[in-house]
Amino acid sequence: MISKEICERVLQKAASTGADYAELFAEDTLHHYIDLMGGKVDSVHDAQIAGAAVRVFLGLRSVMATTVDTSEAGLLRCAQRAAEALAEGRAEVSITLRERLSGDIHPIRIVPASVPNADKITILKDACSAASGYDAAVKQVTGTLLDVDHRILVATSEGLWTQDRQIRTRMMIQAVAEINGETQTGMCGPGARRGMELFETVDPASVGREAARQAVTMAGAGYCPAGVMPVAIGNGFGGVIFHEACGHSLEAASVAYGNSQFCGKLGQKIAHEKVTAIDDGTLPNEWGSINIDDEGAPAQRNVLIENGVLKSYMIDKFNGRRMGMPSTGSSRRQSFSYVPTSRMTNTFIAPGSDRDEDIIASIEYGLYAKQMGGGSVNPITGEFNFAVNEGYIIRNGKVCEPVRGASLVGKGSDVIQKIDMVGGGLKLGQGMCGASSGSIPANVGQPLIRVSSITVGGR
Amino acid sequence: MDFQTFRQVAAEEAAALQIEEYELYYQLEESASADAFRHEIKEVSAASEGGVCLRCLVNGRMGYASTQRLSEESARSLVRRAAGNAAVLETSDPEFLVKTGQSYQPVSTNNAALPDAAALRRTALSGQDALYAQPGVVDGSTTSVFAERVCIAIHNSHGLDLQYENTITSVSMEAVVSDGAEDGEKATEFRICAGALDQLDLPATAREIASDARDALGAGVAPTGNMPVIFSPKAMSLLLNGFAEVFSAENAQKGLSLLKGKEGTVIAAPSVTLVDDPFYETSAMPMPFDAEGTPTRRKNVIENGVLNTLLYNLSTAAAAGKATTGNASKSRYDSKINIQPFTMYLASGGLTQEQLLQKAQNGVLITSLGGLHAGANAISGDFSLQSAGFLIENGQKTSPVRSFTVAGNFFDLLKGITAIANDPQPPVFPASSTAFISPSVLVEGLSIAGK
Repeated sequence: MISKEICERVLQKAASTGADYAELFAEDTLHHYIDLMGGKVDSVHDAQIAGAAVRVFLGLRSVMATTVDTSEAGLLRCAQRAAEALAEGRAEVSITLRERLSGDIHPIRIVPASVPNADKITILKDACSAASGYDAAVKQVTGTLLDVDHRILVATSEGLWTQDRQIRTRMMIQAVAEINGETQTGMCGPGARRGMELFETVDPASVGREAARQAVTMAGAGYCPAGVMPVAIGNGFGGVIFHEACGHSLEAASVAYGNSQFCGKLGQKIAHEKVTAIDDGTLPNEWGSINIDDEGAPAQRNVLIENGVLKSYMIDKFNGRRMGMPSTGSSRRQSFSYVPTSRMTNTFIAPGSDRDEDIIASIEYGLYAKQMGGGSVNPITGEFNFAVNEGYIIRNGKVCEPVRGASLVGKGSDVIQKIDMVGGGLKLGQGMCGASSGSIPANVGQPLIRVSSITVGGR
Repeated sequence: MDFQTFRQVAAEEAAALQIEEYELYYQLEESASADAFRHEIKEVSAASEGGVCLRCLVNGRMGYASTQRLSEESARSLVRRAAGNAAVLETSDPEFLVKTGQSYQPVSTNNAALPDAAALRRTALSGQDALYAQPGVVDGSTTSVFAERVCIAIHNSHGLDLQYENTITSVSMEAVVSDGAEDGEKATEFRICAGALDQLDLPATAREIASDARDALGAGVAPTGNMPVIFSPKAMSLLLNGFAEVFSAENAQKGLSLLKGKEGTVIAAPSVTLVDDPFYETSAMPMPFDAEGTPTRRKNVIENGVLNTLLYNLSTAAAAGKATTGNASKSRYDSKINIQPFTMYLASGGLTQEQLLQKAQNGVLITSLGGLHAGANAISGDFSLQSAGFLIENGQKTSPVRSFTVAGNFFDLLKGITAIANDPQPPVFPASSTAFISPSVLVEGLSIAGK
């Protein structure tokens, strides 16, 4: 993409006013989207994102400049702007870069850009027609097939010069169902760090049917009652509870600034002893996986909580300086135009020893949150919320009628102490996580768990 | 390569491919920011980002492609990619490019250059000073100063040639207050204010933030049940933001909004008038044209409870046999045409917030809402949202409550509005091209889940 020699000159310019660290991040990315609406191809779009960012650090201060001009002259101007903004004297710096190859732990067999639109449309139509044909109550189906080919280069004043190519593919089907004038939606969106071979293991029609099943089930459901009760949260995307209630509060972006309920708690018991939670960017071909992070650090498996004890935060280089801790390979950014920060990759609660049927049977009256929607958190107070897309009342240890419109709210540090049963069937679910460094692909995950008591918003 | 040269190369390529109708949408954002944390500058940035989106009509269908690389090769490949994308479309409603010869209402934009780095740093540090001067503030968090110069150019094969430039500056401040006890309770509050840096009253903003955060300390748990709810101006504007897409004609035509076929019918209480105004006087980004290049105009979306009009762009208006309302939008230069309001505001009623409290007698006042992206479903209208606020007891605002939810349905809520106050506040996200403004609103028939 950009030669070592040019990178050396750019980094020398960037560090010429006293920086103690300089970094060049460049990317060339192609996003391709196909949208189907009502069975017809509604839009096709491809977007090329190409540019570079120069960052320099001095102590606890960081400066970033970006440009879409990736010629040598453009990169040098960008480095000059970063250097001028830091402006802490003059320094002659000599930087020699050495290439590092991290190896690809996420092989891609069919690069999406090499597959014609017509073939992708066939796959998407299979999913959409399965959704429309699922039940007469399905009134509208929308589908998106997206693929991303993200090439990055990272060069730093520490001598690192490395590149990575990150290919991801995802299908998202949304169904709208109407029963007796009540409209509800269902969504299914599997994705992976794979090419089009994703659809050799993911059957498009079953994706469509799953979206339709949720919509039809919920359109026939009554409202969820409100109150405080025990809740069983299903595997897969149910792991969003850990992501919101705890994950964000373990990111250096919060911890380094004292903005987290878990500051200074390493080695302490913060969760129920049944909770072991892991952030693992090395899982082969998973949606949130990386070979290297956006500062060039190799992906890691980080055990965050082990049997209830806090073991690690998720740390990027810049915020790690303030914490006096090394990077954990957690630096991520949506694109070159965002300042990178510590983020999650594939974050999940590890399998436990409880049996699923015992978890359900243990609840006299409560909610079974089978499918979760998204959520959000204020890391300072730990107050979080997330939506239940498909819920059922549990009565006398049995899953009963479906209920709609529920949400769960609480405080992270409370709720992780109340996760008192953990099943064995770990599953991951795909999402896009939004924060200061943009929207990035992240997996959440867990087996079936029980939260002994939580506020359920309903009516 | 500059945009003018890029545009000529694209025109040549379009001619070679016999593409007669196309549009180039160019956007460049030059921005600068400074973040201060605990009285010290933490991060500074100077960013330049932008690109070109090309749309072209092939057999009446619109193909899109975009790039950030302004070179001869990318100009040519852009046209080829867009034409290839158009060729596989199966939509039945025809799409159009805007014609020339229309008149545009002039707007007053800010032509100032970006503030220099020293001014940004000074403002960020003075924001911190103002926050730490407030009683109870234990952490001034991060004060961010952001300045952006936006340039938009729309050029099409009919000869349209529009340009827009505007500079927006804003400061975002957040504070954490504590009850003073070791490991005690904390509360946070934030504000974003837009305007010229030397004219912003940061001490006044800091006072408001700290005072609101202190008021939230010692929060209890709300009761559970059905009760009158007052949404504060901030909470109601967030709710409007979460459900704005129900007014999109595209969503209605595609069966994704329950307002399909409801124009001319009563959808809200008689006191409700909802206006969309591209020229709103305090807007940071007044717009003379929309993302398709159509002249914009002010319109009543809901008038005295009746749905007067949905929001249209060219293709949805043609499908409905109407004129576009000039509400085509793009969230970025490379997004496809969408429909959005500009400044959408709920017209004020005649009462004060105190009179609303008297009318409610017992219930909750909601001052903050969270999780709208997940807990509000614009297709069904259902919402169940994390809330914070105050109890209303015997017509008075009393003790703070938090971590409860409010649940209902947006379409029922519009009909359940029983009173509207006269206390609108600046929008929560004032530096954005789409902004929402509301006074306090009293609603019957919502469900609260607390203890």
